Amino acid sequence: MDTSNLAAEPFHRGAEAELLLSKIDTWRVVIKRRASKKYRRESLDQKIRRERTYAEASLLHEAKVAGVSVPSIIGIEQQTNSIVMTHVEGSVVRDCLDTMNRRNAMRLFESLGSEVGLLHAAGIVHGDLTTSNVVVTPSGQPFIVDFGLSRRSVEAEDRGVDLHLLQRSIAASHLRDTSPLIKAMTRGYGRTAGEKVLRSSLAKAREIARRGRYFAIR
Amino acid sequence: MICLGVESTAHTFGASMVDDDDRVITNVNSTYRPPAGVGIHPRKASEHHAAVSDSIIGKAIRSSEGGQFDPDAIAYSAGPGLGPCLRIGATVSRALASYLGKPLVPVHHGVAHLDIAMSLGHVRDPLAILVSGGHTAILVHVDRRWRVYGETQDITLGNVLDMFAREARLPAPGGASVERAAKEGHELLNLPYTVKGNDVAYSGLLTAATNLMKQGANLEDVCYSLQEIAFSMLSEAVERSLVQTRRNEVLLAGGVAANSRLKEMIGSIAEDHDASFYPVPIEYSGDCGAQIACSGSLAFRHGVMVAEQDSHVTPRWRMDEVDVPWIPRT
Repeated sequence: MDTSNLAAEPFHRGAEAELLLSKIDTWRVVIKRRASKKYRRESLDQKIRRERTYAEASLLHEAKVAGVSVPSIIGIEQQTNSIVMTHVEGSVVRDCLDTMNRRNAMRLFESLGSEVGLLHAAGIVHGDLTTSNVVVTPSGQPFIVDFGLSRRSVEAEDRGVDLHLLQRSIAASHLRDTSPLIKAMTRGYGRTAGEKVLRSSLAKAREIARRGRYFAIR
Repeated sequence: MICLGVESTAHTFGASMVDDDDRVITNVNSTYRPPAGVGIHPRKASEHHAAVSDSIIGKAIRSSEGGQFDPDAIAYSAGPGLGPCLRIGATVSRALASYLGKPLVPVHHGVAHLDIAMSLGHVRDPLAILVSGGHTAILVHVDRRWRVYGETQDITLGNVLDMFAREARLPAPGGASVERAAKEGHELLNLPYTVKGNDVAYSGLLTAATNLMKQGANLEDVCYSLQEIAFSMLSEAVERSLVQTRRNEVLLAGGVAANSRLKEMIGSIAEDHDASFYPVPIEYSGDCGAQIACSGSLAFRHGVMVAEQDSHVTPRWRMDEVDVPWIPRT
């Protein structure tokens, strides 16, 4: 598709890509453009950007088919490594979690757990599941965004990375006691992923957390 | 207030005096060098430390006017590190503290890498990247502690460079040898690039690079590609962490911070996100007494002390298990 004649305004600058907000007729759309990175060599940079654009678009589509709340793909533009997708109204969980009341936060994380469970049950892992990559709509529905690092995987290891990252992003940037939120998330996750996947993913998440440097053998 | 710091976590035995303006007054170090192709033998390294401890500390407490400094506190590297090495530094420090009747301050070696880099650069509250033989971590300080935002899931960046250099029979220190060879390399070879969220994993990369080298690929090209891929992986995780944490300072510390290509890459990311970049000066990047004295001085002023009978060493000790109340720095 050709995005050159779409009026677009900068919307968000992520680590990997630039997001532009635009409109196709009455549709609010987001253009995700993978920027070239000065720090890496040209050939490596090209390869990473191209591969990730294709992977992201196809996985986003598969997640949608599996019933996960994610943006819908409208098209891709090869020349600029861009994906065009629907815009999700709402706020990023990273920004609104600290001001949210406890009940809403619990409910949000339980729903988020269900979404992640659906995704994993469909054989997809997100790869960068942090509170920055979850948008909550005014009605309270969490949407998972940014599939830039996602992959097809049915390995407990990869599901564990998702859960570990999500837990760590809550602990690293939010409240000190995060265990009730993590419990709510786990509950929702088990409901859609099933007991067996829940157990293996959680065990891996714990193992991954301990893989970091210098955990004492206790 | 003046603090004596004693470093002995791995290959380096060092002693240093730092005052309460965080000025490094003396910094004397001696590094154990294993033969080419061999890693650090913990016992041999500890024997080296025991042999040099007397003269290193003697030099560190001697002032330029010929007199001797009288430290108000004695800081030692309590971990993480090699047990036999840590115990030499702790034993010597304990003896000194007891003889001089001065308080003993336990220091976390990784925290100390960041403390000296922050003092020298006058950094307040950065996104910190610690890259060494013991650590590869991306950290931010929240509520009294360093929080690990991303880290290696297996071996450290320092391990990758050291172990590759050893396999390739390049002389120690491995990181410097690989960097020198990489400058002559031009072709980017195909090597695995593994980023898992904010974490990186290096063991597959090390194996693949070692295999390429053994299959006869040009050594300079392998070194060049190894650096490019390993550093690009870390840089990607750094950029993501910087965007998430929204810090406006980026600190690069630890032994691998001496690498100019890595500095160039991290610096470029900081610039892209309007953050100031503070790589630790090269003479303080590797393990040294000054980092322990600097961190010990800060800790002592915040009431951190340990009784002689409790002055243990902790070979495994995570960065996020230490209270560091002196950050943000003023």
